Amino acid sequence: MYEEPYRWVEAVGNRRQYLDDQFKQGSPVVVLTYEGGILLTTVSKGTPKLYEIYDRLALGGMGHPTDLEKLRFSLLEMAHVEGFNRSPSDVTGSRLVKYGIAPVIKQAFEEVYKAPFIVRILVAELGQKPEKDALLTINYDGTFEEVTGLAVLAATTAIQAKMLTYLKEQQPVTLSLEQALNLGLRAWAIGSMAQQQAEADQEAEAKPAATGAGSLAPAIPSNDTLIAHVRSLGGERTIECAVLDRQAPGTSKYRSLKQAELSQLLPKALQSVVAD
Amino acid sequence: MGMQGDFLQLLKEQGYTLGAPTAAGTGHALTNATTILAFKYRDGVLVAGDRRATAGNMVMYDRTDKVLEIDRHSVMAIAGVPATAYEMVRVLEHSFKYYRRTQLQELSFDGKLRAVSKLLKENVPAALAGTGAVVPVFAGYDLEQGSAKIYFYDILGAEFEGVEYAVSGSGSPTIRGILHYLNTWGEQPLNALPQEQAMVQALRLLASAAEFDSATGGVNREAGLYPVVKLITGAGVQTVPDATLKPLYESQVVRYV
Repeated sequence: MYEEPYRWVEAVGNRRQYLDDQFKQGSPVVVLTYEGGILLTTVSKGTPKLYEIYDRLALGGMGHPTDLEKLRFSLLEMAHVEGFNRSPSDVTGSRLVKYGIAPVIKQAFEEVYKAPFIVRILVAELGQKPEKDALLTINYDGTFEEVTGLAVLAATTAIQAKMLTYLKEQQPVTLSLEQALNLGLRAWAIGSMAQQQAEADQEAEAKPAATGAGSLAPAIPSNDTLIAHVRSLGGERTIECAVLDRQAPGTSKYRSLKQAELSQLLPKALQSVVAD
Repeated sequence: MGMQGDFLQLLKEQGYTLGAPTAAGTGHALTNATTILAFKYRDGVLVAGDRRATAGNMVMYDRTDKVLEIDRHSVMAIAGVPATAYEMVRVLEHSFKYYRRTQLQELSFDGKLRAVSKLLKENVPAALAGTGAVVPVFAGYDLEQGSAKIYFYDILGAEFEGVEYAVSGSGSPTIRGILHYLNTWGEQPLNALPQEQAMVQALRLLASAAEFDSATGGVNREAGLYPVVKLITGAGVQTVPDATLKPLYESQVVRYV
């Protein structure tokens, strides 16, 4: 029945609605450049959401863990085969995304009789020079976008925009790792609170969910409120943080921050969360 | 197959073969003209090699690095056909990284040893044909057990643990005896040597090998050419710079030669 064009468009529309629903509970991901490289952070529940892909490539994701694993493996395979057959410097995030996984995600999305990938993906690439750093995001329909400096993943585009606005307002010219982590977690809290709000609104049916942006609290919460929000979730979730460190020895620049290092970098109010 | 984190398998699926078999038994003599050595010292393991590459009786190159870093805590020192050896190192380097990144944990030290064995086994046809024989020494620091380890291999892939030291290459018969003597009747066993003493011994051993083996390159002071010496400890692999080797050579090796 999907052979009829109208039916197909309708099916894709339904699919969009179904997929949008799947991200409501997801944890946002924040990526920002700091003076020593690129920081990725999220507050995850159960499964990790930040991964190493290649010497200078990191992955952040939202969505179904199994789908994310599948795509992570394709990225790893492509990156390592290319790095072996050509050279590590020929492995670029942009090629992996544009010619590698984005077409696969798009195809799965449009083949309406098969299951789509329930994922939003972010690939961060540490350039040889800071101005060559690149961040790529891919949506569940295969749409990709290349940006520099800041990128986020969240449940809806409205919430993503809100997080980005917050980051742009708050970000000084250069950030130390400590400042970047603090800012990243606050931006995460902005996203997480907005997602909770959007869900509460939808449940109350006070406002239509599709225009969630209008229903978000107008004033920007204070730093303390944001940090307190992260803290309140500390019991059930863990702060996850990874860097692509330009100064790291050897070829692999990815490093996942372990508890000892994290507790030194986190704002005071959150240190107890890690220690627990 | 990718789910097992096996990079070599992944390459094979893409049509890759290591050491493609050539016509067997073409009668080339096995080339392993070099000297490499590894021994345990107080802080970890020292691996060193001369820098000469030869083809028959011709010196091809005097700045070869035969002690190749595979990851932060392991190196492979090679005697044999360089083309095959470099290729093996490239495969191993990617294999260990691929395993770590897919499986989200380091490959164990035993797993790394097995990977070297497997590669050598794949390479048997080329080794027997005389076009790709490699006789490596694999050394590293096992972080889980907190100890340094040395292994040596034959061209067929059999793996042997070198308890205190291992040597390979055409110059190795000369220094194997010296190592045995030093370790058994020296003032202190090799594994008690402090770092500087270990470096001096390595320089002396390679100088001895160069004395009796034409295929082993000695020190060329005019050209500022010293052997490659690498130290592997819990902190990782460290290449000793020429600036450190030069004074040691001049003060503690030259006057004895």
